[in-house]
Amino acid sequence: MMKQFLTLLMALFIAGMPAFAQDGPLRIEITEGVIEPLPYAVPNFVADNAAGAQFGKQIADVIASDLTGTGLFREIPDTAFISQITSFASPVQFADWKAINAQALVTGAVSVDDTGKLVVRFRIYDVFAGQELGNGLQLVGTQDGWRRMAHKVADQVYSRITGEGGYFDSRVVFVAETGPKDKRAKRLAIMDYDGANVSYLTDSTSIVLAPRFSPAGDRVLYTSYETGFPKIYVLDVASVNRRSLNTAEGTMSFAPRFAPDGRTVVYSLTQGGNTDLYRMDTGSGVSTRLTNAPSIETAPSYSPDGRQIVFESDRSGTPQLYIMPADGGEARRISFGQGRYGTPVWSPRGDLVAFTKQSKGRFHIGVMRLDGSEERLLTASFLDEGPTWSPNGRVIMFTRETQGAQGRANLYSVDITGRNLKQISTETGASDPSWSPLQK
Amino acid sequence: MNTGQIISGAGHAGLICWALLGGFFQSAPAPFQVTEVTAISTEEYAALIAPQQAPDAVSNVATPEPPAPGDMAPDLSSTADDAPDVAQPDVADTPPLEEAPDVTEISPPVEAEVSDEPPVLEPPSEDVAVLVPEISPRPQPRPAPRVAPEPVAQPEPDVKIDDVDQPKAEPSDKPDEVVKEDKPETAREEATTKIVTEAEKVANAAPSKSVRPRTRPAAPKPEQTAKPADTKPTTDSSSVNNALAEALGAGESNTGKPGGPPLTHGEKDALRVAVQQCWNVGSLSSEALNTTVVVSVAMTENGKPKSETIRMLSSSGGTGNSAQQAFEAAKRAIIRCAKSGYGLPRDKYDHWRDIEMTFNPENMRIK
Repeated sequence: MMKQFLTLLMALFIAGMPAFAQDGPLRIEITEGVIEPLPYAVPNFVADNAAGAQFGKQIADVIASDLTGTGLFREIPDTAFISQITSFASPVQFADWKAINAQALVTGAVSVDDTGKLVVRFRIYDVFAGQELGNGLQLVGTQDGWRRMAHKVADQVYSRITGEGGYFDSRVVFVAETGPKDKRAKRLAIMDYDGANVSYLTDSTSIVLAPRFSPAGDRVLYTSYETGFPKIYVLDVASVNRRSLNTAEGTMSFAPRFAPDGRTVVYSLTQGGNTDLYRMDTGSGVSTRLTNAPSIETAPSYSPDGRQIVFESDRSGTPQLYIMPADGGEARRISFGQGRYGTPVWSPRGDLVAFTKQSKGRFHIGVMRLDGSEERLLTASFLDEGPTWSPNGRVIMFTRETQGAQGRANLYSVDITGRNLKQISTETGASDPSWSPLQK
Repeated sequence: MNTGQIISGAGHAGLICWALLGGFFQSAPAPFQVTEVTAISTEEYAALIAPQQAPDAVSNVATPEPPAPGDMAPDLSSTADDAPDVAQPDVADTPPLEEAPDVTEISPPVEAEVSDEPPVLEPPSEDVAVLVPEISPRPQPRPAPRVAPEPVAQPEPDVKIDDVDQPKAEPSDKPDEVVKEDKPETAREEATTKIVTEAEKVANAAPSKSVRPRTRPAAPKPEQTAKPADTKPTTDSSSVNNALAEALGAGESNTGKPGGPPLTHGEKDALRVAVQQCWNVGSLSSEALNTTVVVSVAMTENGKPKSETIRMLSSSGGTGNSAQQAFEAAKRAIIRCAKSGYGLPRDKYDHWRDIEMTFNPENMRIK
């Protein structure tokens, strides 16, 4: 009791002391803040004509789903709205939106023009500043593409508030899995980043693995066992035509990935019981050996500038991560923690490497700096593996498989801070995701 | 036996040994040694040594072909692979990439003619210091959607979320007590001090969630109705500062005299704490989180910022774009948390008429 009294007395004394003489304005420094979802409101887009009426709510719902799904924003339900947006041209009553603590407001209008095209207009407001964030935009597209238009609006909102690029108008190629674990059918599939619009690219007559998008998002590299041995194929997404990277008979090629130039492919090739990294110019077909070690080198991934490659090797006794020049040469080890590291993927921003880690009987998805520092494990489960980066380098998608004979593989995503871990809804089991760049 | 006899005996014994071992009694060695040999012919001798001769050096032996460049690189070409002739999947309808929409800028909106001034909320009938139980530090903070400098316990499900903790105010049955406005109970939003990843949750053996004990049911006698101010246990530092600022500043605010002594540390801290509670950096890019901005704002005499005067004086550590994002977040913080004013002492208005706030997110990059 006495201690508390003395503490309070001391606090009173210190707090009551006047500050030093003040020149000019009062100056204070704010070094601590809060991290919480930013509240926003997206009223249904106003229908400018009858044909556009069916899209007003749908588009607003997709925008809200995109923004809230990031974990950075919190939607204010329309039941809390004080004022309604009945006309896109009407002025915004900021006081009404401040009263419900909406810090951002998205208003829009939708219509179908004479040619049957869908026209979407929208504005973004900073409610407390009482001003528009950037200029309003108008999108014109096909009616079938309304979801893409909604994703594009959400990308704009995300970008204008956070200052970094969005990732909603993107797609994911993955391996769709059906059947029991011991007799699982696998085929390539592609979908929107949020699990919508699933289409299949191959049948399930043979096992397919590890699809990887090209930098432009128009082609997919993957590994197939249809000849009995793993072999790499290139598939054109638009036509579904494909061809193989013709490797020597009796070799196994796998783990391919495009270089940022879109012409070069780096991959693993097993010959004579040894696995090393090679790269191939897809135009000329000329290949170059990049590593020459008795250990297993695999899972290569280029840096965004194409000058370096991060890969997995067991040359030190256990699988670890290494970085070497893109032309081959001396590699430096970057992972030094306990456990086994694999499937490294370079961030699109170039500052981090995502990886799979196995330690103490659990699997993790994690990130680390290029020198191996600041390792952060973002997830932990029975089996997590195969990370892929969102186009803006903010989110990681990966495979999580549940335990047991009835275990199923699913896709999950997590923010690089470790927050907002969530499952991507898919009809079938899903694994090996690869995130496309933003669509043009 | 005397010493002479011992010496004599030893001498004789040594002499006898020398005679036996030194070869005194051996005969002189023979001048040569005789060995039996077998004579062989020249041909037989040549046949014996023939296998031991080294082979003649040959200079024109065919050397093996050196390895081809690329060290056994596979025969790689980009020709189409005709071997796997796999039927295209039935369901492999090529996902038609929807036509990219055309993007056009549209004209700015019409300004609202109505005032944007938010409704002035009546302050509580009785100022109550923010009272929060002191929370002992935990080895691992439990996960919560909000990360703040101070942890806040999970509020009761039926309690309204607000900026301050405030118990439910109920009218008293005591005739001599001031009639209080019936206000709902409020509590600050649940917060933790650090982002906890799924991997870190495993290491935390502490329970992830606990329900705050419910308050006691009201006593039957009206005299025993608990006063809200009396139910508060202890307070945290920010609450102390708020209360001190109120006590030191607001009490003298009726004097109406400008000037006066400079703000105390407590008053400045109260302002700083109030702003940081609304400085939300959760939606900022990593680049904006590396950007420090200095923002100036002019204040009204009732402690509210003049929104139109908020501007960025300088920035460091980022690009122009990231500085703009950081500035907008700072601006939102200044405006949002001044709904009822910052409670600055009016008699010291000359000292806080203009304020420069430095928003430094260094501590917020990885929480």
